[in-house]
Amino acid sequence: MNEGPAITIRNVSKFFGDVVAVDDVSLEIPEGEFLTLLGPSGCGKTTTMRMIAGFEEPSGGSILLRGTDVVGIPPHKREVNMCFQHYALFPHMTVGENIAYGLKLKKVPRDERARRVDEMLELVGLSGYGARKPGQLSGGQQQRIALARALVNRPAALLLDEPLGALDVKLRLQMRLELKRIQHELGTTFVFVTHDQEEALSMSDRIAVMNQGHIDQLGEPRQVYQHPETPFVADFVGVLNALEVRIDALEGADALMRVGDRDRIVVPTAETGVSVGATALVAVRPERVEVLRDGEEPDGAGSRLRGTVAQVVYLGTLTQFHIDTVLGKRLIAHRLSDDRAGEIAQGDEITLTWAREDASILHTSD
Amino acid sequence: MNMAASRSGRGALWVAFWLLVVFLYAPILILIIFSFNDRELVSFPWEGFTTRWYHEFLANETILKALKTSAWIAAGASAVTTALAIPASIALSRRRFFGKGLVSGFLLAPLVVPLVVLGTAMLILFNYLGFPFGPLTLIIGHVIIALPFAILTIVPRLDRIPVALEEAGRDLGANWWTTFRTITFPLLAPAVLSAYLISFTISFDEIVLASFIAGSTTTFPVYVYSQLRLPTQLPQMPAVAAVVLVVSTIVVSLAEIVRARADRALDSVERVADEPAAEVVGVEV
Repeated sequence: MNEGPAITIRNVSKFFGDVVAVDDVSLEIPEGEFLTLLGPSGCGKTTTMRMIAGFEEPSGGSILLRGTDVVGIPPHKREVNMCFQHYALFPHMTVGENIAYGLKLKKVPRDERARRVDEMLELVGLSGYGARKPGQLSGGQQQRIALARALVNRPAALLLDEPLGALDVKLRLQMRLELKRIQHELGTTFVFVTHDQEEALSMSDRIAVMNQGHIDQLGEPRQVYQHPETPFVADFVGVLNALEVRIDALEGADALMRVGDRDRIVVPTAETGVSVGATALVAVRPERVEVLRDGEEPDGAGSRLRGTVAQVVYLGTLTQFHIDTVLGKRLIAHRLSDDRAGEIAQGDEITLTWAREDASILHTSD
Repeated sequence: MNMAASRSGRGALWVAFWLLVVFLYAPILILIIFSFNDRELVSFPWEGFTTRWYHEFLANETILKALKTSAWIAAGASAVTTALAIPASIALSRRRFFGKGLVSGFLLAPLVVPLVVLGTAMLILFNYLGFPFGPLTLIIGHVIIALPFAILTIVPRLDRIPVALEEAGRDLGANWWTTFRTITFPLLAPAVLSAYLISFTISFDEIVLASFIAGSTTTFPVYVYSQLRLPTQLPQMPAVAAVVLVVSTIVVSLAEIVRARADRALDSVERVADEPAAEVVGVEV
């Protein structure tokens, strides 16, 4: 077996005329990883994937599949396969013929072909569907067949282009688990393209958050979510509370801002090198923000900020509070919809608190 | 107010519709009636039913020969037309290239060039080149006038075949030609058949170009037209025309049935993309 990464992308750029679609992207994807390219439409994630597949050629840089440079090699000679957004099953062939298509071209003998097609149908839970036409299947079933058709070729990597976008919500949740299970069973490298942060967070080993042609942040889901490195990542992944504050003092590794005589915001400076008097953009996730009612006292060290409940949004498991703080900025807090959450109503005067390590500085300016 | 909704409005539409039908089809109906009329003159009164004209034309070597000539020329012209229209349509539908608008304009221009002009031009050109007039010049002429129709038949179908299907083929290991052969062409086939039949019909009954550049070759329309002046031959003409009409109606209907059936297959794929699963298949999660 090859020891190196399944896919290496080195300083790849892609221009369409004057438009920069992908701007100097470098990325290494180890064998067996589930990597997600996450970003809004037009961020370059699809173009990056299409360059790996061979449908677009990079304007600069190199792409290596298992150590071999594939730039200039046409798609049909690349050892990657793709799941298309709308499945792209061949309507004039049966399900079995669809799955066997790649094997037939590789001149795999007929009986081995039949065996591997059956194996794949079983893997995706559609045994016995081989003789049907794609038009007779539901969207979810077509999705599974598209997966089987790609995986039967045992590709070096499977590329998935927003494969769940066309499915309804319930099926999408089911397919997430399904994809993860299949990837786990086969150990195939998956490169998954999506604009849905939940999909990315729930399935990926690592996420590359893309913005305007480059990778803003690359990391494990938890890391990307809890410690966004740029304002864009913080905003795109999850709901963001961002506060612009002026630093009043530095206390050890913390930056401090006082609000009135009682409230304050504390945030670890990390290695950002902030100085007193600078303005910092401070981020904190809604589920880390606690809502305290009158009489409930916050414990010591964290941030605290008073405000008025502007709106209460019941979301089922969670209840979302929109709070107008004394800083004039509206913050969002999430909490489990327990009985206490039910007692907080619009117009209540409350105090928000969060621990010092739950906040981070996105960027600073003097 | 909606005209179709009121009672009198609906009646008026009904009348207008049938007037249009009569206007369109009365000549054809008259032709068929006369082909069975036992009378030397192609006109009323009705003098009794006969199949005499059919027997006569089937024994008429010259008519049969003209039919055969036209059929061969039409078969050749439509084969060439279709073979040219497929790559032209692919280029127009799938590729981006410099001067695409101009190229498509050139390809489709024969639609609006008067046949008399085209016929004169070709007469002068072939004469200048010393190219002998005959079936070949006629085939060339018919290809030119049928090509726009063939392209306009194939391009819309090609536009409906998702590019992703072809990309999927290439992704799974098929080169360009294999992708075309196993994916694009099978899905395009109904339109190709339509294009072939349309081209065939255009060539088969084309008379203007034929009068200019057919040389001594006598095609069916040219022959029919020439016979209209001869009283003895005239009664056979409605019979020939009726046979041609029936045969072409049957062929075109069959082609249409095939096309509609193939269209449904493509529809089902487009439709299902945004449809929730009807059933959840047993999968261990």
